[in-house]
Amino acid sequence: MTMENVALEVKDLKTFFHTEDGVVKAVDGVSFNVNKGETVAIVGESGCGKSVTSFSILRLIKAPGKIEEGSIIFENKDLTKIKESQMRDVRGNDISMIFQEPLTSLNPVFKVGDQIAETILLHQDVDKKEAKKKSIELLKKVGIGRAEQIFNSYPHSLSGGMRQRVMIAMALSCNPKILIADEPTTALDVSIQAQILTLMLDLKKEFGTSIILITHDLGVVAEMADKVIVMYAGQVVEESDVFTLFKNPKHPYTKGLLESTPKVHELEDELKSIPGSVPSASNWPKGCRFYSRCSMRLNHCNDNAPELLGDENHIVRCWLQNEEVVKQSEYAK
Amino acid sequence: MAKYLRKRLLEIIPVLLFITFIVFFLVFWVGDPVALMLPEDAKQEDIENLRSALKLDEPMLVQFGYFVSNVVQGDFGKSFRYGEDALPIVLERLPSTLTLAFTSMIIAVLIAIPAGIISAIRRNSATDVFVTGFSILGKAMPSFWLGIMLILIFGVIFKILPVSGNGTWAHLVLPSITLGTAVSAEMTRLVRSNMLAILQQDYIRTAISKGVKPLSLILKHGFKNALVPVITIMFLQISTLVSGALVTEVVFAYPGLGQLLVQAVSGRDMAIIQAAIFVVAIMVILLNLLADLLYKVFDPRIKYN
Ligand SMILES: Nc1ncnc2c1ncn2[C@@H]1O[C@H](COP(=O)(O)OP(=O)(O)OP(=O)(O)O)[C@@H](O)[C@H]1O
Ligand code: SF4
Ligand SMILES: [Mg+2]
Repeated sequence: MTMENVALEVKDLKTFFHTEDGVVKAVDGVSFNVNKGETVAIVGESGCGKSVTSFSILRLIKAPGKIEEGSIIFENKDLTKIKESQMRDVRGNDISMIFQEPLTSLNPVFKVGDQIAETILLHQDVDKKEAKKKSIELLKKVGIGRAEQIFNSYPHSLSGGMRQRVMIAMALSCNPKILIADEPTTALDVSIQAQILTLMLDLKKEFGTSIILITHDLGVVAEMADKVIVMYAGQVVEESDVFTLFKNPKHPYTKGLLESTPKVHELEDELKSIPGSVPSASNWPKGCRFYSRCSMRLNHCNDNAPELLGDENHIVRCWLQNEEVVKQSEYAK
Repeated sequence: MAKYLRKRLLEIIPVLLFITFIVFFLVFWVGDPVALMLPEDAKQEDIENLRSALKLDEPMLVQFGYFVSNVVQGDFGKSFRYGEDALPIVLERLPSTLTLAFTSMIIAVLIAIPAGIISAIRRNSATDVFVTGFSILGKAMPSFWLGIMLILIFGVIFKILPVSGNGTWAHLVLPSITLGTAVSAEMTRLVRSNMLAILQQDYIRTAISKGVKPLSLILKHGFKNALVPVITIMFLQISTLVSGALVTEVVFAYPGLGQLLVQAVSGRDMAIIQAAIFVVAIMVILLNLLADLLYKVFDPRIKYN
């Protein structure tokens, strides 16, 4: 794995929200790499910080939220440090994003075609006519028949699936190097979900785009991803290639997730069945954040926060990986 | 569209009938119209004669019938004060009032839209606090007081603008500012709250993620969504505008509908009062219809069927 192969490098990212009830440490030291042409899946329960991580990459975090620490390296630039005007050149052009909410993510008062064309006009040196032509081609590419007609429609007249296709067309309009898809199918019908995912796979093959795919759904992960990052309570708890993770999960949380997914192809299944709840993000426990729900916890885990351990292909944040600790500590009740 | 317009126009008929009804009863509510028309020492016989000449001795419903048929022909009777048909007198005043209302609305919009937008994007900043304070003040400040202050400052101290009458653009300046300020206060507040809500929307985040520049983000992606509420607000302010016009016209001796109406009320000139109310009501109805049609232009989600 050489550096030239890395498309994006997130290092020790911390994004906090300064609310009236205290500092919400939504993303608390997340690191990962995305290689060129690779699909990286980020999985984890609701509220674990997946969206905040992805918004941080494009610097879409609004006050009271703030990127506190860490760096996000893209083409030798640190996205957390560059000027806003430089960031605008990256957004929609080099890195683009599809959101969790297809129904509300398009502007209701503009024709969908014009919204795609706007992105093209912002980043490419073409005239309006050319931008329109390209937009219609993109609409066809994402599987929309009657593309000329749809170009002139307003979002409210399209279904959720259609709108998400339009969002994908818009996100791909400038051939981005990285596409961030934040639960692109969660809000859609099951039948549409599969179509959208297939579409993304096809487009990835065609353009060689790296994809960061955020999902609740391990079925989707198995089908789409090369690499998987499991997040829990604002941190990465396990990371490995997709085969290793499914065959040999090491973190008790990951194991729990896999057990709660009966079949890989059941797209509806969500990660809910581990008993207990996530501690509060404004007051993380001192020790392991999974302690209160872990069935294999050691006494040691309650007071000591585990670090990520392992080799470059498989890392895990769990004391069970440390033989010394396992030898010395008892299983807790 | 044509079908919708026809339907809306048909809906106006019952509203008009209702207004006619109210206007008709206004006379009886104020007192005996015959007694109003004759000098206080008139003989009983003269009173009776006039009463039957005016068909006022017939049943109410019949009288209402006469009234409606007169109104349809534009006949509200003669003004006591001017001794002429009331409607032409009222209509003659209409253009001045419409001009005042129009310029005031322009001033209000010119203040409210930038002020509202700026205080929304600079939420909780000193600017926002200033704008909010100003709009509270503008709402609390009585129009006549502001009018008098403006007369003092610009007419009496600096002597740069005429303080009464009409005919030139200069005459419009102070009354329009007076009325426009009153209307802009409420409008600023509503533009601000609408923009605040819009800036939280997902499509704004989408626009940022595409690399849209700040000005285009706020005006194109943001404010265009606020247009429908802003138009609604503008037309909702018409009642403020009309009532404000009454006061403003009196303060500046501006010869419009408001001044005429105030004079007519104090002189109990019923024909003028009736005609003026009728004309104002029709004006408000037509403006509301216009507002509905404008929504369609600015919001593709609104369909007429
Ligand atoms: N604007 C905000 N103010 C305060 N806290 C926030 C804000 N936005 C997010 N958070 C907190 O950050 C944490 C992570 O949220 P995030 O949206 O990243 O979760 P997620 O993993 O995307 O969940 P989901 O699967 O439901 O989309 C949550 O605890 C949430 O409460
Ligand atoms: S560190 Fe301890 S508590 Fe945390 S997941 Fe591992 S075993 Fe469980
Ligand atoms: Mg999310």
